[in-house]
Amino acid sequence: MSPQVAGQLELLGQVLISGVLLGGLYALIGLGMSLIMGVMKIINLAHGELMMVAMYITFWAFTLAKIDPYASLLIVFPLMFLLGVGVQKFLLSPVMEADTVLPQGQVLLTVGLGLVLSNLALLLFTANYRSVPVSYASKTIYWDLKLGGQTISLSFSYPFLIAFCIAGVLGASLFIFLAKTDTGRMIRATAQDKRAAALMGINTKRITYITFGIGAALVGAAGALLDPVYYLYPQIGGQFTSKAFVITILGGLGDIPGAVLGGLVLGLAESLGSVYISLGYKDAFGFIIFVLVLIFMPRGLLGRGRA
Amino acid sequence: MSRKNLIGLLPIAAVLLIPLLTQNPYLLHMFILSLMWIVLGQSWNLLGGYTGQISYGHAAFFGVGAYTAGIMVKSGLSASTAWWGLLLGGLMAALVAAVIGWICFRLRGSYFSLSVLALSEVLRIVAVNWNRLTNGAEGILLIPAFNTKTYYYYIAFGLAAVNLGVIRWVMHTKPGYYFLAIREDQDCAESLGIDTTKFKLLSLLISAFFTGAAGAFYMNYMGFIDPGIVFSLPDISIMVILVTMLGGAATKWGPAVGAVIFILVSEIFRVWVGSGHLLFFGVLIIAIIIYFPNGIVGTLADRRARRRRARGAEAVA
Amino acid sequence: MTKPRPMQLVTLALLVGGMSASLLLAQGKTFKVGVPLPLTGAEAKFGEMEKQAYEMAVNEINAKGGVKGTNLVLDIQDSGGKPETATAIVEKFITIDKDPIVVGEYSSQCSYAVAGVAEKYKVPYLVVTGAADKITQQGWKYVYRLNPPSTLYNQGLYGLWGTVGKPKSIALLYENTDFGTSTSRAMKEYCEANGIKVVLDEGYQAGGVDFKPILQKVKSLRPDVIYMVSYLMDASLLMRQSKELDINPQAFIGGAAGFTLPEFLQNAADASEDALSGTLWTPQVKYPGAKAFFDNFKAKYSKDPDYHGAEAYAAAYVLADTLKRAKTWTPEDLRAALAATNMMTAFGPVKFISWGKFTNQNRMETLVLQVQNKKFETVYPPDAASAKAIYPVPHWRDRK
Repeated sequence: MSPQVAGQLELLGQVLISGVLLGGLYALIGLGMSLIMGVMKIINLAHGELMMVAMYITFWAFTLAKIDPYASLLIVFPLMFLLGVGVQKFLLSPVMEADTVLPQGQVLLTVGLGLVLSNLALLLFTANYRSVPVSYASKTIYWDLKLGGQTISLSFSYPFLIAFCIAGVLGASLFIFLAKTDTGRMIRATAQDKRAAALMGINTKRITYITFGIGAALVGAAGALLDPVYYLYPQIGGQFTSKAFVITILGGLGDIPGAVLGGLVLGLAESLGSVYISLGYKDAFGFIIFVLVLIFMPRGLLGRGRA
Repeated sequence: MSRKNLIGLLPIAAVLLIPLLTQNPYLLHMFILSLMWIVLGQSWNLLGGYTGQISYGHAAFFGVGAYTAGIMVKSGLSASTAWWGLLLGGLMAALVAAVIGWICFRLRGSYFSLSVLALSEVLRIVAVNWNRLTNGAEGILLIPAFNTKTYYYYIAFGLAAVNLGVIRWVMHTKPGYYFLAIREDQDCAESLGIDTTKFKLLSLLISAFFTGAAGAFYMNYMGFIDPGIVFSLPDISIMVILVTMLGGAATKWGPAVGAVIFILVSEIFRVWVGSGHLLFFGVLIIAIIIYFPNGIVGTLADRRARRRRARGAEAVA
Repeated sequence: MTKPRPMQLVTLALLVGGMSASLLLAQGKTFKVGVPLPLTGAEAKFGEMEKQAYEMAVNEINAKGGVKGTNLVLDIQDSGGKPETATAIVEKFITIDKDPIVVGEYSSQCSYAVAGVAEKYKVPYLVVTGAADKITQQGWKYVYRLNPPSTLYNQGLYGLWGTVGKPKSIALLYENTDFGTSTSRAMKEYCEANGIKVVLDEGYQAGGVDFKPILQKVKSLRPDVIYMVSYLMDASLLMRQSKELDINPQAFIGGAAGFTLPEFLQNAADASEDALSGTLWTPQVKYPGAKAFFDNFKAKYSKDPDYHGAEAYAAAYVLADTLKRAKTWTPEDLRAALAATNMMTAFGPVKFISWGKFTNQNRMETLVLQVQNKKFETVYPPDAASAKAIYPVPHWRDRK
């Protein structure tokens, strides 16, 4: 094999690895939104800001108490759950009850919430870029493949691998939770038909609180996992909210395996597109696939979402 | 004209006379921006409030209009002739809207909203990368044609007045009633024989035309645009929804009230509160949505109607 | 038909109230200067650093008696990094507060927009940080720029290459912003004129999480030098991920901004070692007051200032000097005094000259810094150097 071909194979391999690992993280970001949109049909424009809050919690836990980000998941998850429940109970539910011409009030509420959260962070923590410099932040696992006389060296980022695994575990846990537990089934029932669920005796209001809480906790977990490999400042949320939408629609509203697949598809689209088509248009690929899926597969890639 | 109509015209007359009362550029700037946002809000409202199609990507039309005007200047037409950009900007925006509508109208509800958002973002990314056409990230600069703000004020006012007139007129014609029918229940409307796709498209085209014209106005007035400004998701697309909903969707004056609140109040916050002004703005948004779920105008109208009914019930009882 | 809205009257009243309040602010034996800055939004960090630098300088100036006995007062307002807000702020400064001079703004777009407004109203404007060439290429009479334009950002680098040897090939990676595209374009033009092969020329959207795909592509092209332009923290991720991919060019070179931030060192940690960057100022330059500025800023605000802070600090001194020399404090006299500026500041020499297409532009040498032992060291030009350049940089696997 010539060195050029080896170089191209190495490139392809690295691009695929990047796409998959990033896709796992994206999937976790999208899972929460998929759940929220599936059950309550709320477009949560503060999704990225919720992630930002979790990232600051993780940052302060590390900076003040030397708690490792992966360990602080144990703090972040419940704290974000409570925040989510609070937001739904005190802000969103009252608005959802009101009889309005357009149901967009909730969405705008999340806009206001996003502004409040990011500017509160700005006031409290300043605009400085924060880092969580754990010792393994740049740790890499190298895999040297010997093919046709050439060596192809592929690198896996250690924190990304961990994030991928934890995202997988959380995704699987969520799936089992929804499928096997009573609360999970109540959530799925509410998502299918809110009124019927209420008629069946399900306290749909409480279910919406729990759902938003879980959604916030999931995106919070994604934030904690992102801290070691990225950086942090108050305005970080916006771009992740957009990605979450793409993933939610790709996967189909409320479909957990679909959202995971959606995350992977987005990650791969960005990786492959940025190298083989154009780096400048990287973010557009996700949106284009998004629109194509919406048109040709409205129930999501796996065909199981709520249309 | 009835007395009621005359009283209703008073604020319009007042607005018309403002440049004669003050030449202060800063104040005029605030009013001009308010007028532009009134156009944006009302146009979005036609598609969203009246036809029930919630677009999260109106920046696409604003940006296309702005860049049409800007590209005209970049390719050598002098700044004053760029005013044709208003008409051309509106038409280009309507053209793009036709394509977007064709792609997205087969979708409903949140799916429609997000698909328009996605296409708007794609346009933004194209504007950033297509350097030859748009100057990419460096944006387009032109020296404004007029030195005093008065001309701009009246142009903006004219645009807002035509926009208001057209929307008012359309809502009193049959297509207008079809829009409302589509909003209330699209399938029902379809079964009554209304070609919902055609009328949704009509609503979108009108909405996009004026949004594009406003974009062209922005280019000519501000003198500088770049993709991040005119195709902005948070600053244009989301804001136009905010402006309309805060004022009250599907009301006649809602978008105008919302535009005034947005421009004037957020500027007042910025000047008086200083750091943390956005925080107050966010809190204000939350407060308005909770206490005025149908927007300020909408909720006030609801309450008045309820009071009238209560009084009526008392009178009977 | 709903009744005429009281909202319009209420908001008009509020506006009038607001106007009078701000007019009251501009009274007394003080000279107020309006400074728009991004205090919120993505660039808030730089806005904050410059605000602190301006305040520090003004406090020093006032402590020494101000200018001709008058104290300087800063009116720093938040543009959020949005040109339309910046223009509104400056319109207010000029037309309501009647400020005879405007200073400030951070990004190229906002500086550009503000410059247009100042030129229209014939009020002098001192550009402090906005780097895009075009700001001082319009033939404007009222716009004066303290900082070098983006084409000059890399001058120091070219000089360094003169001593260590020019590369034969280069990869250009820059963010898709005004600053990113104009600075990298300057580098591209230099390379094409000097026989350096440009193997990659790609713009990216700032804020990305994973640059590995494109970095791997760069790796496969084996350029001698990888040149990157990033405003913010992309610089850090680019270096970290280059290390993870084990990319080993002769040098990693940044185009200032993100590569000179203290947070770059913090976030990139080991990966930032030996990264070079063009820069406009370091605490090691021999200009009077440079080190003092660095130490005082660090003592007062517990963080290191970079060249943005130095620019703001110097701008305040340039303003004071202009006020001292001006016949009267009207826009025309201030403009004349500003144009005649010829002084030394902690940031460097300030004199507004014209050359090529540039007018009213300060021209300074730019420098090169390198991260050595977790610190920024100046490595070029020799008379400002605090350390010798390590070039070519060692392979990742050979380090420590």
